[in-house]
Amino acid sequence: MNAISKKKYPWLISLLATLGSIILLLTTLWIYTRISADRSPFGVAGLTYAIAGLFLMGLATVAYTRSRRSRKRTVGALNAALHWHISFGIIALFLIFLHSFGNFELVSGTYALFGLVALVISGMIGRTLDRFVPRLIAREVNTALTEQGDDRIESVTRTLQNITTYHKEQIHSFQSQQDIQVVEKDMQMVAAHLVSQDGTALPTSWDLAYISLAETPQEIERDTEHYRFVPDRKSPLAEPSALVPGLQEQMAELQTVQRALQRERFYRAIIRYWRIVHICLALLTIGLTLWHLEYAATIMIPIYFHQ
Amino acid sequence: MFKLLKPNAVILHKTKPQVEQEIQACIGCNECLLACPALAEPITIDTLNRETIAGPISAPVERFTQACYQCGACVSPCPVGLHRDAMMMWLKVRQLNAPHRAQTER
Repeated sequence: MNAISKKKYPWLISLLATLGSIILLLTTLWIYTRISADRSPFGVAGLTYAIAGLFLMGLATVAYTRSRRSRKRTVGALNAALHWHISFGIIALFLIFLHSFGNFELVSGTYALFGLVALVISGMIGRTLDRFVPRLIAREVNTALTEQGDDRIESVTRTLQNITTYHKEQIHSFQSQQDIQVVEKDMQMVAAHLVSQDGTALPTSWDLAYISLAETPQEIERDTEHYRFVPDRKSPLAEPSALVPGLQEQMAELQTVQRALQRERFYRAIIRYWRIVHICLALLTIGLTLWHLEYAATIMIPIYFHQ
Repeated sequence: MFKLLKPNAVILHKTKPQVEQEIQACIGCNECLLACPALAEPITIDTLNRETIAGPISAPVERFTQACYQCGACVSPCPVGLHRDAMMMWLKVRQLNAPHRAQTER
């Protein structure tokens, strides 16, 4: 095996070792069934498979845990330990299956085997999740960040602020122009009344200075902020934020980013909690195996030591 | 025993300025790479830091980026409390946006 394939496929050696071990075990089983008729889990072959399986179960658990906690590590050593952890787990499951010889009458042994099956399956699912879920997270993160790598929520919020400020200024400028127009109109009306019947302009009355051009309280109320234009229901202006262009799009983008963040949190939770499920199953399997060992000892000790 | 069940602290992604700030704070002790169960081949922390920020991504770093599964094992050994997982996530996003081929031998 050359160095490049080792770099590209670091799991290749452990995979080949697993397949080789399974083939070797099947060969031993074939040879054993040729030379012996004993198919009991407590027979010579059954016990050998059980001891080997137990040893590999322990090795899979202890070696990886020790490697994780070891202070003397090299780069890549933990990855190799993880691959051997998987390999030993699969071989141990196969050995325990062979140990059972298809005999599932003993409750403790069957439960221990089911625990081991669940443990190995959870590990396989975990590795599959480890492969796919980070890609999904990266996609969501890509949605939550801008092209420059900044926070998209911040960017959208800034745009929303700009839109709001712009429209507020527009409304203010619109109100002041309207005020001016009203004032001009009033002035024209006043000027029109200052004409005599024969069309000659009358001199401006001295008390005209006391006519207030300021708006009445009703007019002021109309122009305050709570005065709102209510368009016809069928009008396109009746749609939300039709009077503030760009607002709806920004709000939709904000919601998209929020959904992406929720999904990112969910995907991260899957990775985290699946690992906890795997550890819990490992503890359960250890417990069931100890129960089975204790039960098997009560059966085997009288057979082997008192006969 | 219960330490096994305690999950690593989770953070969501970091922005590019935050990642750059963390890389500048990195002291290059290599502890994060030693604790990583996804890293299969020797990569120096210097190369990883340089390629995380900008420039072409080399083949080993690209493979490592794809292999990283955000377990967070690299966070707790860091003596200066940096988030290598967030930096790796930024590298993943960079890879997603510019899936250019690696510059060196694959």
